[in-house]
Amino acid sequence: MTLYPELTDDARREMLRMMVLIRTYEEAILREYHADKSPGFDIGAGLIPGEMHLSAGQEPVAAGLGAHLTLDDAMTATHRPHHVAIAKGVRLREMTAEIFGRETGLGRGRGGHMHLFDPQTHFSCSGIIAEGLPPALGQAFAFQRRGTDRVAVAVAGEGAANQGAFHESLNLAALWKLPVVFVIEDNDWGISVPRAKSTSVTSNAVRGAAYGMPGIRVEENSVEGVYNAAGEAIARARAGDGPSLIEVHTLRLWGHFEGDAQGYRADLEGVPGHDPLPTYRNGLVERGVITAEDYASMQASAVDRVEDAIAFAKESPIPDPADALKYIFAEGARS
Amino acid sequence: MTMTTGAPGAGASIEPDPGKRKLSTSKAIQEAIAQQMRADEGVFVMGEDVGSYGGIFSSTTGLLEEFGPQRIIDTPISETAFIGTGIGAAVEGMRPIVELMFVDFFGVCMDQIYNHMAKIHYESGGNVQVPMVLMTAVGGGYSDGAQHSQSLWGTFAHLPGMKVVVPSNPYDAKGLMTAAIRSNDPVVFMFHKGVMGLGWMKKNQRSVGAVPEESYEVPIGKARVAREGTDVTIVTLSLSVHHALDVAEKLEPEGISVEVIDLRSLVPLDRDAILASVSKTGRLIVVDEDYQSFGVSGEVIASVAERRPGLLTHVSRVCVPDVPLPYASQLEYGVLPTPARIEAAVREAVADRLSS
Amino acid sequence: MSEVIFPTMSEADDATGVLVTWFVDSGDDVTTSTLIAEVAVDKVDAEVYPQSAGTITLLVDEGAEVPQGSVIATIG
Repeated sequence: MTLYPELTDDARREMLRMMVLIRTYEEAILREYHADKSPGFDIGAGLIPGEMHLSAGQEPVAAGLGAHLTLDDAMTATHRPHHVAIAKGVRLREMTAEIFGRETGLGRGRGGHMHLFDPQTHFSCSGIIAEGLPPALGQAFAFQRRGTDRVAVAVAGEGAANQGAFHESLNLAALWKLPVVFVIEDNDWGISVPRAKSTSVTSNAVRGAAYGMPGIRVEENSVEGVYNAAGEAIARARAGDGPSLIEVHTLRLWGHFEGDAQGYRADLEGVPGHDPLPTYRNGLVERGVITAEDYASMQASAVDRVEDAIAFAKESPIPDPADALKYIFAEGARS
Repeated sequence: MTMTTGAPGAGASIEPDPGKRKLSTSKAIQEAIAQQMRADEGVFVMGEDVGSYGGIFSSTTGLLEEFGPQRIIDTPISETAFIGTGIGAAVEGMRPIVELMFVDFFGVCMDQIYNHMAKIHYESGGNVQVPMVLMTAVGGGYSDGAQHSQSLWGTFAHLPGMKVVVPSNPYDAKGLMTAAIRSNDPVVFMFHKGVMGLGWMKKNQRSVGAVPEESYEVPIGKARVAREGTDVTIVTLSLSVHHALDVAEKLEPEGISVEVIDLRSLVPLDRDAILASVSKTGRLIVVDEDYQSFGVSGEVIASVAERRPGLLTHVSRVCVPDVPLPYASQLEYGVLPTPARIEAAVREAVADRLSS
Repeated sequence: MSEVIFPTMSEADDATGVLVTWFVDSGDDVTTSTLIAEVAVDKVDAEVYPQSAGTITLLVDEGAEVPQGSVIATIG
């Protein structure tokens, strides 16, 4: 993965490319997820069963972070992981196979879309709100112990900032000066509960001060805003100066999960107008950083990669039920 | 993150002769941890008051002096955060020993334990290991009340993905701690406060015993016949092993021969050992300091009943009833699985014999 | 023959402590690296090791209250 320490036009193009890849992926998963659940929506049916939480609209967070992270840095994420997983460099074919529950998946079909583990990129995610934060501290602890400048990024939603694990984790990370960056994606909604009804402060950035670390809120859902804030926070962590808290005001373009009619969302009609992807693309075209042809080529590339991953998944073997009890324990030991 | 599996501990002796040197259970645990920390710089200890205090129940006395504060780490009262930190460090190849001060505190951090520590290996299809030890103090009998006296091993054993070991004596404590640290799986190591040999709590004489000086392992998942007998089988664990042995010694002159099986591990459960003993005696008593219903005692009995239902001529269990543990000593000892209750259960079990 | 003395751990001359745990029995052979007892004065614990090797004879019971400085065992 290439790092972009400066916000050059190359960096801008790469981040746009990443956002396009993510959006293409999420649209494809959306298509695949619903394809075989009709006529009535049966959540357990089809090639991709279970819950599905897609990240369309939140691409700027992923792309802005990804520009500063290597494969060796760690990341923990949430039930809505695809965008940050892709930006982190998680292997697309194996990730997709896992979402399709196949033997070739990251977890051999045992984890699914909310429990993606890629040791090659030190990426993991969990379906329990805020509980991905403590393990990120542990990865940072190991990096610090070994004298490296690797960092751990813990991604969570604004709802997580009201869970005990968030508060414990911020305190401990600051106390031990761990190389962690906490990234809160404020997409306004904890399922159906708006932020104003769940959170006692208007910006979680102030909670950084409560735990002795810098806190910054990126108000616009802007990939360059994230890029700047993340660059500073990650550099701080790499330098051994401890953790930071970043909150990004982002946008959940679709429902909390697929099947969510979003009846509670009064502003639903206006939502597509805030889509960050065309906004950024148009801005870059206007400034001559890319042309319309460049963009079309990005899209075509993305489609190729995504459809390849989906085809790989669909062609992969389904796990044998007789093997369901395999991999509970490692059964090995250190000599 | 480590993607490797490991070979079983090469060169580690399994259950050697105890020798002559005696330690208390707490000192045996300290020695196991110290020896593994000398052998592997990835091993470290984290928990509340594990540093200069040496652990509330003396699990880490002396370790800070030898290994320093970078490796014997006092944490804030943040179980979710520091147990999770252990998980992340383990995932990156370290070997943390994390202490949950009282098992009763699991309520504030159980998600990290059962949804993360225990499940990551399986959810990742075996691609990510969590070689971590979660050690914790269990047990009552000294009036610490309902929130500080529980055993709760049934709760942990019930949830898939973590090994659970419960040593009753110094020899097994050192061997199982060594095996737990070396294991590539997450192991919950539960030590009863009453077997630690603490000077400030009533102690059974078996809290001090012979322990080999060298490093060795007791295999996880294997029970031990603590005492051979022919009339009745007591399957038990932890402090209750001592009480069962006391009762067996007392009843032998009366011609009642009691076999005592010390389970030592709950996950994996040594069902073969249980069956082998019940095949001899036909009479099964389970003594378990955890709550009676929906736990270890039911599991032991079910394990026999489903495999060889015809084997059993008698089944009973001596457990803590389904009640919060009372504070007043008299009340507390009214519900604990005391030697008196165990003795009564044995007598009742053999009452069917025409002659003694 | 040498004596094993209950260690002095308190500044008060007449302080007493407790013989908390014996790790050996009368008749056992001990060396200078054998842990023989754990004692406590005012809740502070200390481990006791012998000054010479030999066969030990215990002179006080476990749990007994013992004035610091007194003889708790002999080694012959």
